[in-house]
Amino acid sequence: MNAEAARGPLLPDMNVSRLIATTLHDEMTADESLLVLGEDVAHGGGTFGATRNLLRTFGEQRVRDTPISEMSFVGMGVGLAMSGYRPVVEVMFADFLGVCLEQIVNAAAKNRYMSGGSVNVPMTIRTAAGSIGVAAQHSQTLWGMLAHFPGLHVVAPSNPYDYRGLLSAAMQSDDPVVVFEHKSVYLRKLSSFRVGAEVPAERYTVPIGSAEIVRTGGDLTIATLSTMVEATLDAADTLSANGIEAEVVDLRSVVPLDADTVAESVGRTRRLLVVDEDYRSFGLSGELMSRMLEAVGPRGLDAVGRLAVPDVPIPAALDLERVVIPQVEAIVAESTRLVEK
Amino acid sequence: MTDDVRLYERMCLMRSFEEACASGVRDGLLRGELHLAIGHEGVGVALEESLRPADYVVATHRSHLAAIAAGVPLRPMLAEIYERATGLSSGKGGHLHLFDPERRFSSTGIVGSTLPVALGHAAAIRLAGEDAIAVGITGDGGTNSGQFAETLNMATLWKLPLLVIVEDNGWGISVAASASIAPPGIAARARAYGLAAFETDATDPLRAVADAAEAFAHVRSGAGPALLVATCHRFSGHYEGDPDLYRTTAEKTRMRELGDPIANLRAGLIDGGADPADLDERAARIAAEIEQLRREVLADSAPPAADAFTDVVASITPGGNR
Repeated sequence: MNAEAARGPLLPDMNVSRLIATTLHDEMTADESLLVLGEDVAHGGGTFGATRNLLRTFGEQRVRDTPISEMSFVGMGVGLAMSGYRPVVEVMFADFLGVCLEQIVNAAAKNRYMSGGSVNVPMTIRTAAGSIGVAAQHSQTLWGMLAHFPGLHVVAPSNPYDYRGLLSAAMQSDDPVVVFEHKSVYLRKLSSFRVGAEVPAERYTVPIGSAEIVRTGGDLTIATLSTMVEATLDAADTLSANGIEAEVVDLRSVVPLDADTVAESVGRTRRLLVVDEDYRSFGLSGELMSRMLEAVGPRGLDAVGRLAVPDVPIPAALDLERVVIPQVEAIVAESTRLVEK
Repeated sequence: MTDDVRLYERMCLMRSFEEACASGVRDGLLRGELHLAIGHEGVGVALEESLRPADYVVATHRSHLAAIAAGVPLRPMLAEIYERATGLSSGKGGHLHLFDPERRFSSTGIVGSTLPVALGHAAAIRLAGEDAIAVGITGDGGTNSGQFAETLNMATLWKLPLLVIVEDNGWGISVAASASIAPPGIAARARAYGLAAFETDATDPLRAVADAAEAFAHVRSGAGPALLVATCHRFSGHYEGDPDLYRTTAEKTRMRELGDPIANLRAGLIDGGADPADLDERAARIAAEIEQLRREVLADSAPPAADAFTDVVASITPGGNR
């Protein structure tokens, strides 16, 4: 896997928040136009520790704590990006995207188009998504919402190798890129990951808009992303013991959506399950199913299904959260149903 | 030609430009909402006199005069307003979204959203150590937005070279400022956030030019951000075609009689000995030049269909933009 990886020394084992801080550090060292701003990113080193030590290394001019004014510090990022800088703006929780949506969707996403290509907005927005028991206002993923707007790139890595590679790609991109980090990975060690645990010390990029097949299998295709990739790989182990071989596609990017890789897989397996931690309706799962219908036609599919948050807010109680967030057991059950259909 | 006659000519040009846009709506050549700044020329010329090429300007939905003041060339600007392939953005931005990065000018159609972007420009100026300032423009209505409060706070916090210009025409679409802005008003809000606040009556252009120069000088001196409230009148409705029934005829007549910055300067020039016929001749010549420009633009072609799909993103990605 990961043919784009530079061969060379690896980073020592560390947790993912330090990996993100290391990646920010390395890119900021390579390109002086890169800046970091957001709530608690400087003196606090980031609520999740993903910007630690950057202030000490780069100083207050390049690493800036902002007031709790999301709309205006994201808009400030737009202005900086239009002035030749490359701001990396942290929106602490993905749920707060609603507070600053105006500057993201009406300025960052559209200024290039509205200017006929004369203006770029090279801005990265990092935000923490996903469920870790923090209920309805701090658990959403919302990548489907941002994917709706033309002009933004949207990525959601699942493993350490991709966290570093996609963040570097975002910081080097001339387009606005929203990077959804999953709250459950910040304190995990690189070595604890099933896939992509080895991370080169040298800088590299993972191309935005390219999915990766992380497990091969001929009975069905499971397309997923972010933390659901590991849950799906665990489910695939159980399925394999039951005689079902699942092919697992890590989408990695929501926009551009690498439908070609999924279609190639579905063309072989004829069965598709989409596993998504976002809300079910009007989002990634429905979009991917539509794309597969367009790509292989209804006769090319024997079975299609999806597991996603069933259009309810994320509940606080752990027992309830488990009901609405796709779990390994549910992936096994739904995959089995689709194969036996 | 005295300096005041030059200002008179610049305001005549601004008004002729807006009238060239208005006629597009009357003739059915321009679709959508067109927001004109006829009556705001005192603000336009005050901006123009103090702006320098290195300054950034972020303007509103009523942006044409600010664009002229920033030095945006008239031909591609008018072509963009008329949605032609020769426009600033090849016809994809339209009148609400004028961009000219070479002149450090941009605009947005969302009220209040100009200010955070201008704040970012001010931060960039500081980072790069440039000798320049950022100008963020809003109407009086925009001062009720959260972005206004957030931006003023951060501008003072970091002492950034930001000048907020409030074009206070007294109306947010159909709602009078008196019905939407709580006392003690806009300048007091700015002072509460630690900005230096300046106020001017832009129906008197000479006064507006002088007061704006003072506000610009404050920011250029490094003393911190400032806000300038420039009162003026919006002669048209909110947009061309707005029935404008929320203002009485008497009110509108009075506004045009007393609050026209061009007529006011013209009267002052005549009092000072200028020849009325000469002033009118100058205005007529400028109007003819703009009309000629409009004819040229109308002969330009519309953008080709393929252009609808370009410029969404800068990077080439597998599978296209999506």
